[in-house]
Amino acid sequence: MSQFIQQVILGLLLGGVYVAVALGFSLVWGILNIVNLAHGALVIVGAYVTWALFTRWHIDPFLSLPVDALVLFVIGYALQRGVINRLIRAPLLFTFLLTFRLNLVIVSLLLLIFTADFRSVTTTYSGSGLELGNVIIPYIRVGGLAVALVLAGILWAILNRTRIGAAILAVGADRDAAQLVGVDLRHIYALTFAIGAAFAGVAGGIISTFQSITPTAGDPYTLQAFAVVILGGLGRVSATVAGGLAFGLIEVLGQSAPWLGSGYANAIAFVVLVVVLVVRPRGLLGRLA
Amino acid sequence: MSLLALSDVSKRFGGVNALADVSFAVEPGDVLGIIGPNGAGKTTLLNCISGLYHLDRGDIRWESASIRGLAPHRIARLGIGRTFQIVRPFPSMTVRENTAMGALFGRPGARLQPGAALSEADTVLDLVGLGEKRHYPVLRLTVPDRKRLEVARALAMRPRLLLLDEVMAGLNQVEIEQALEMVRRVRDSGVTIVLIEHVMKVIVGVCKRALVLNFGRILVEGPPADVLKDRRVIEAYLGQRYAREQERKET
Amino acid sequence: MIAREDRLPPRLRRSIFAVTMVALAYVILAPLTSIDAAQQAGLPLLTDKVWFRIVTTVLMFVVLASAWNIVGGLTGYASFGNIAFFGLGAYTVGALVANRGWPFGLALLVAPIVPALFALVIGLPLLRLRGHYFAVATLGVGVATGEVVNNVGPLGASTGLFLPIVRSDLLFFYLMLAAAGLAVLTTWVILRTRFGYGLLAIRENEEAAAVIGVNTNFYKVAAFCIAAALSGIAGGIFAQWNSFINQELVFAVSDNVQMILMAVLGGAGTALGPVAGAVVLELIIQTLAGGGSGSVYSQIGLGILLAVCVIFIPRGVIDFFGGRSKLSLRYFRQTLRETSA
Ligand SMILES: Nc1ncnc2c1ncn2[C@@H]1O[C@H](COP(=O)(O)OP(=O)(O)OP(=O)(O)O)[C@@H](O)[C@H]1O
Ligand SMILES: [Mg+2]
Repeated sequence: MSQFIQQVILGLLLGGVYVAVALGFSLVWGILNIVNLAHGALVIVGAYVTWALFTRWHIDPFLSLPVDALVLFVIGYALQRGVINRLIRAPLLFTFLLTFRLNLVIVSLLLLIFTADFRSVTTTYSGSGLELGNVIIPYIRVGGLAVALVLAGILWAILNRTRIGAAILAVGADRDAAQLVGVDLRHIYALTFAIGAAFAGVAGGIISTFQSITPTAGDPYTLQAFAVVILGGLGRVSATVAGGLAFGLIEVLGQSAPWLGSGYANAIAFVVLVVVLVVRPRGLLGRLA
Repeated sequence: MSLLALSDVSKRFGGVNALADVSFAVEPGDVLGIIGPNGAGKTTLLNCISGLYHLDRGDIRWESASIRGLAPHRIARLGIGRTFQIVRPFPSMTVRENTAMGALFGRPGARLQPGAALSEADTVLDLVGLGEKRHYPVLRLTVPDRKRLEVARALAMRPRLLLLDEVMAGLNQVEIEQALEMVRRVRDSGVTIVLIEHVMKVIVGVCKRALVLNFGRILVEGPPADVLKDRRVIEAYLGQRYAREQERKET
Repeated sequence: MIAREDRLPPRLRRSIFAVTMVALAYVILAPLTSIDAAQQAGLPLLTDKVWFRIVTTVLMFVVLASAWNIVGGLTGYASFGNIAFFGLGAYTVGALVANRGWPFGLALLVAPIVPALFALVIGLPLLRLRGHYFAVATLGVGVATGEVVNNVGPLGASTGLFLPIVRSDLLFFYLMLAAAGLAVLTTWVILRTRFGYGLLAIRENEEAAAVIGVNTNFYKVAAFCIAAALSGIAGGIFAQWNSFINQELVFAVSDNVQMILMAVLGGAGTALGPVAGAVVLELIIQTLAGGGSGSVYSQIGLGILLAVCVIFIPRGVIDFFGGRSKLSLRYFRQTLRETSA
């Protein structure tokens, strides 16, 4: 029984990571109608920023999260404004190919800069956790979940409580109408992408605290972000949170099944994805498209 | 035996009752007009008949055999052709190729080869008045011509029942006359027709019977002249302006 | 009735035809100069190890791009999971030859069957999805299939499978050439039959296709299975040619993207477009890779190439890909306005 509780807790904690990863992905998809296949690469860029700050100046990974956000915000703004924006009205296949290529370019650049070596961020509290009877709750993971929930709150507040957020939502609902009422479309697009990238960066920072990173470590996260958005549904922050937590649970419980193992993370993501797409296309909490 | 019979057909979208307990029958040789305000459920009705939507409740029978749940292509091959209100041509093909697709796939018995389908298309295109534009790419067609193409593609299937969804919307008086003539010719060739139209002149001009939908329900059914005079219809569908005009005429 | 190629002006068509014939003759005949008899007769050697490696790879991508084209180009479903079919074909041959000791020729006959059955099973649920959903779900198929294979002990798990080495550049070259010919011929035939028109109708408007009597589910799944079988053959040949396979080698999603780029670059929806795309792009890739320090630079180079195209001829990429390009300054300006926000 305590074994099961342990798994549930680990699942929810892992789910926190997925929430963090999927928030930006879902924002960009919902507003720009782009499935950003370079999202995982952006996540890993954030992880490397945290790692660099930690190894150079021993900055605590949680303190470097705002730096991740800032760096990725700038990168995201430039990428969207400079490249992706050119194809924003093009057929889906082209944005798909473009972001996939972008992913490879970023990964290759990371390989050149950081090499393929495994990098990890090990703090003094990395190994420790709260012990409740037989159940262990690692502090690092709790921190990650907390950051993810804060991120979700921030995104919700940006979208629902600020003028920029209103403009972003307006563009997402009907870009031509938004343009007619005076929204600067290009700026809002770039801003949306930049916010998505910033969130990816923070997610990367969290990831660096519990997983060793390589330039290609982000690839699975793109597929997982997609699965989370499908599971939760597109178009709401709360849906992404629900989707992320549910997905974390499914993955941990799935891998603890005796006939599976940790090698099947992607396969589980994919099966969840297809089952949800076929059975309930708008996800757990999604709005009708 | 009715050609097509609907009983208690219902369809919901979220909170909207697009169709509620719709029942009616179409006899061979009929020309049935369906009218109703925007959003009344007319297009939804056609989508249910042609199998694009699954019914929530009720049944649809074709020559007394249920076609509920059949795939759209099976329903098409039973001999039910249709047009789309918002036209759906195959954009990379020419007018002639578009039409030939109907002949190529819609025939229940004989499997035509592409060549035969193309010559079949020529016959149909002359009938709908697109003969001279047969080699145009569809993207060069005007909206009325695209509607004609919808009809041509459905006719190329040699259907026994033809469902027309507002094919005359946006046509001018002359074009409406031409279109009416076309519908009569199709009728005379033995095809049963159900047509959705906003233009009253069409309903009165060609339909044997008319049926009024409002909020997904059948309001009135009967000969077109009677239906159009019905007070409920004038109120619900034709609106106040028309009602006022009627009053003015009577005084 | 619907063949894009026919729309080129006749003179251009004739010169393209002539060039193609010469190139084809060279590709088919050049390897023969490496036969002992030819060498003894004093013929100049027109090929070497590198030549064989490059040309066989090009031919492999001709198969893959053509197969993708049947689903993505003709039917309009952009699959990112075709690499799974390639991988399954490779592992079929790998397992039968390495574990069961089957002769390669016999195993190759099974190579198209396994992926085709797999396509049949996953096709029905997947091909109900559209747009982003289909693209990412198939991407998931590619990744997940590779992952599962990577965990199965009898398939060598993460070590991979080693096949007895067969040293014959000539054999694998001609096998791959035959596979490429088969793929192109299949597309050509499809484009001229009722089946092909059904696929095109689905691409152009699926609901309209259904209500004129096209059995859309059957057509889509059939196209998927044909593509799977062709990709499986390429995978099977690759397994023996390379005599070693593992997950990274035969389930690489980037290869899937490569085949899409090739099909789209050459002209999706045509029989010869994917061939042209595969030749051009694979040669560019080989040049970039040969130009310096391996694949990192070639990835960056390709990425920058694509980005530059996108920035300077945004609509150009699309129209060019769609086979409608007219290159002029006015055109650049106009398209720049149309595709960007
Ligand atoms: N696919 C759908 N999803 C959700 N709601 C739908 C869908 N199709 C139709 N509706 C709703 O069902 C109702 C009936 O729509 P329908 O298109 O059948 O009306 P109509 O009578 O054809 O109107 P019009 O004269 O404008 O063509 C409308 O309220 C519409 O919004
Ligand atoms: Mg309608």
